[in-house]
Parts: sequence; C-alpha cells; structure tokens
Amino acid sequence: MNRREFFKISWGAVGIGALISGVGVSLAAVLRFLTPSVFYEPPQSFKIGEPGDFPFGPPTFLVAEKIFVFRDREKGFAVASAVCTHLGCTVAHFSSDQRFHCPCHGSVFAADGSVQHGPAPRALDWFEVTMARDGRLLVNKDKVVPPNYRLMV
Amino acid sequence: MMNLIREIWQSIVRRDPLSTDKGKSELVFLNVWLHIHPAKVKKENMKFRHTFYLGFITFFLFLILLTTGIALMVYYRPYPPQAYQDMKDLQFVVFMGPFLRNMHRWAAHGMVICVFLHMCRVFYTGSYKRPRQFNWVIGVLLLLVTLSLSFTGYLLPWDQLAYWAITVGTNIGSYAPLIGGQLRELLLGGHSVGEGALIRFYVLHVAVLPAVMILLTIVHFWRVRKDGGLSRPVWKLEPKKTETLVTIGAPAQIAALQAAAASKDKTYGLMEVVSGKPIFETVTPDEEEDTVFSYPYAFVREAVVLMATVTTIMTMSLFLNAPLEELANPAKTPNPAKAPWYFLGLQELVSHSAFLGGVVAPALMVLMLLAIPYLDRNPSRRTGDRKLILWLFTIFVVANLVLIVVGTFFRGPGWALVPPWVHVVAGAE
Repeated sequence: MNRREFFKISWGAVGIGALISGVGVSLAAVLRFLTPSVFYEPPQSFKIGEPGDFPFGPPTFLVAEKIFVFRDREKGFAVASAVCTHLGCTVAHFSSDQRFHCPCHGSVFAADGSVQHGPAPRALDWFEVTMARDGRLLVNKDKVVPPNYRLMV
Repeated sequence: MMNLIREIWQSIVRRDPLSTDKGKSELVFLNVWLHIHPAKVKKENMKFRHTFYLGFITFFLFLILLTTGIALMVYYRPYPPQAYQDMKDLQFVVFMGPFLRNMHRWAAHGMVICVFLHMCRVFYTGSYKRPRQFNWVIGVLLLLVTLSLSFTGYLLPWDQLAYWAITVGTNIGSYAPLIGGQLRELLLGGHSVGEGALIRFYVLHVAVLPAVMILLTIVHFWRVRKDGGLSRPVWKLEPKKTETLVTIGAPAQIAALQAAAASKDKTYGLMEVVSGKPIFETVTPDEEEDTVFSYPYAFVREAVVLMATVTTIMTMSLFLNAPLEELANPAKTPNPAKAPWYFLGLQELVSHSAFLGGVVAPALMVLMLLAIPYLDRNPSRRTGDRKLILWLFTIFVVANLVLIVVGTFFRGPGWALVPPWVHVVAGAE
C-alpha cells in the first residue's frame, strides 16, 4: 500500500464512520424527542375520600380512577382495578353473579379477580389502600397487592 | 392579435396537433403529468375483465381522500373536547360539512376494499412474477400504509367508537415481545389514550403517513411503467416459441434500421432506456395488432373510471351518513366494543388469544404476503399450472373474510356468539 492508497482508505473510513455515528445519534435523538419528558396524566397515588363515603355491599366504581372500592362489614376495604388485563377495556361488576365482565372480548373474572372465562391472560389487579394522616383513604396503583389484602378501619 | 394568441397557445402547448401520430406521442412525452404513461398501450391489457381497473380506482379514491381531508382540516382541532365539538360542527353547522365527512369516510372504506381486491387480482393473474416481484412487496407496504391511515383516522372524531377502537388496537400492539410496551407508549405519548395520543395520531394521519403513501405510490407506478406497463392478460399468454416475431415502430429488417444515417438538420435525443422491452419492442404479430396510442384509448378509459369513482362516492355521501357516537368516555366501554370492520377479523383472533391472534398471526400473514413472489418459484402465469398456490391463496382470502363476517355480524354483548337475526338487549349493568 502506498501513501496515496493509505490516505484514500483512511479518509474513506473516517467519512463512513462520521456518517454512521451522525445518523445513529440523530436517530437516538429523534426517539428521545418522541418520548415525553412529562406526562400530564393523573397521579398513580391518590386519595379517594373518607371511609364513611363508601357503602357496604356492592362495590363503588370510581369513573376517573377506573377502580372498584369494596367495603365489607367484617373484612374491611379492598380496591380492584377496572382495567381488563386483556386489552384495557373497562370491566363491569355484576351484582347478580358477583363477577367482573369485560365487554370487549367476553373475559369474566371471579369475585377475587381471577380469570374464569375468556382471553384475559391474568387476574385483575388489586391495589394497596391505606389510611392517610388526614383520615382519608389513599390508593396507590403502583403497588399491586394479593386479592386477600384488606384494610380494616 | 391573432398572432399573439397563437403565440401564447403555442408557448403552453408545444406538441403537434393530436390528429397526427407525432402529436399523440408528444402529448405523453412532453407532459410532466402524463409521461408516466407509455405513448402506446396494448388494448388487451386495458381490458376491464383483466384488471377491473382496481389500481386506478384505488388511486382515485386516494385523491378524493387527499382533497376532502385537507378541507376537513380547516374545521378540526386535534385536542380532546374540541375535537368532538368540531365533529358536531361539521355535522350540523359547517356548509357541506356532512357531505365532505361522508366522502372522506366512504372513500376510506372503499380504498381498503379496493387495495385488497387489487392485491387479489394481481395474485390471481400471477402479475407479481418476474420482473415484478419487488413491486408486489411495495404493494403490500401500500396495503399496510392504507390500514395505518384508516386506523389513525379512526381516533380523530374522539367519540366512543374512536376511543375504544384505539384503546383495544394499541393494546394489541403492546403484546409484541420486548418492545411492545415502549412502542405503545411512543405511539400514544402516554400510558393511555388521551390528548397526547390524539395529537400524535393526527400528525401521523395528516402528514407522516400521507407522505409515505405518496412516495411509495410513485415508486409503485414507476415500476409498473418500467416493467412494461400493465401485465398481459392470462388469456393472451401463448406458447412463445411457435410465434414469428416482428418489430414494431421500426423497419422490419434490423439491417435497415442500422442503415438509416443520422440527419444533420434534426436534433436527436435519447427518450428513455428500458431494459427488456424498449420502445422498439419485439412482439408477436397478435400483440402488434393490439397496440394503440394511449391518447385517446387509455386516457378516455381512465377519465371514465375517475368520473365513475367520484360519482359513486358522491352519491353514497348524499344518502349515507358517517356514524358519530357520543363523546369519548374512558369510564364506560360500549358493549360490545368493536374495532373498525377491517380489523374485526383481527379482533376475532384477539378474542381467542391476544398474543397468538394479535401479534403472531398478523405478523405471519404480512411476512407471508411479502415473501410470496420469492417463495413461488413457478415461472408460469397460467391458471392450470398454478392450481395449488391459487387454492392456498383462496383459503387465505376466505379465512380473512369469514373472520371479518363473524366479528362484524355474529358477535354480540360480551363478545358472545350471537347470530345477526337474534336481537339481544345488552346485559344488566
């Protein structure tokens, strides 16, 4: 290899390297640009009210939060997700059979959230519910708890 | 004065009169919009019963969608409550609002149907075979872009139908292994369908996807042209070797062609270089008889198809109204919640298994479609030689149709199997 060839190949390698790294960095930047830095979405942890706001018996459905709040005289409070684990439709709780029914693809969940029928891959989530200092109930959707979790008030 | 008018006219139209063959050729060559056509076409290739003009119809529907879409943009704000208010304005306040929205809707449905039928036609006539393999691949991509445009457009009215179809649709995507979750987040710009999702779908629908569609369409048309125009009808395929070949557009003797000396008082230009079948095409005598100038033969036919397409969509839009349900309500899923009809086959599969039906099956279908021209090694386009693959494709088409019909007509509340002739009142809340 003579001097001329050496520089030709070297400069070619530098050029191609610059092109590839430039395109790579640009693509990464585009991907990062498309990922929001801030989500203007409701918080995952929120207060839902005082224990007295919730009746015994059939669960209370909170529309915006998409949760069911169960209150049992002996066992206490429990909070279930109303989002079907299949494709994210909102399930309905039928008091007639004590089960959750999904309108989209017919999944049925038992009273404890486990899948009884249909394409849902896993049980409905139950969320941690605690008592905040101000005496209101605090639900944390980031903390999934077993279905037998209860908060006694 | 007359001279000035003549001069202006001749500065615009620089071809010879259309009464001459040279004029007919120049009409095509010298016009930027028409020169995608060849100067001459084969009559038999333009037969209705060969192509059903499905490609033309699809393209014309796309033109309708572009024009009505731009008109609708004037009265649409892609932000949650306003988006739905704007739909109501288009329905009741804007002059010709319902008509334009109906045209956009029915042309969109029509385009999905025609793209699919066009694909079937190309398959059944074996027109994806050498040298057109890659153009089939472009065609499959165009089908995917068409479906993506339909899907992104579906969210824009921000009604119940839109909201839940997109919730279900994007959740299907999240079952894709490894990247599914991030992909959905990127598409929605959040964790659920909300204002971030609406603006992203809007940008995709009015800018990104139409640009991709236009670019791919240009490549698609260019390749059709470079591969010798429309494919030869199957019924015109003859055993090649028994034919005597003649040369059209040039003297029959090749020697005579070489002998013609370049004239000094003319300017020569290279018109185009086409591999395989150039302008001086070697064709069978039967084909030569079949060849006519594109003007007026092809152009008149295209104009008739254009007018028929526009008239049909306009007539439909006068009598059939595009549906608009109530404002999107994240708390209440309609029962049953259904995707747009062309995705109901997918939804039917998804109702059995989200991963197998929603990710594996469609991915395999698309891969299979893309690979068809490379897997099918049989060079013959004749129906008799292709029995097995024709059967396989027919099964594929029928299976898709059956799934869509079941999803559309046989699924009731809770996705239970309910025949369309049984009326069901939705179950207790």
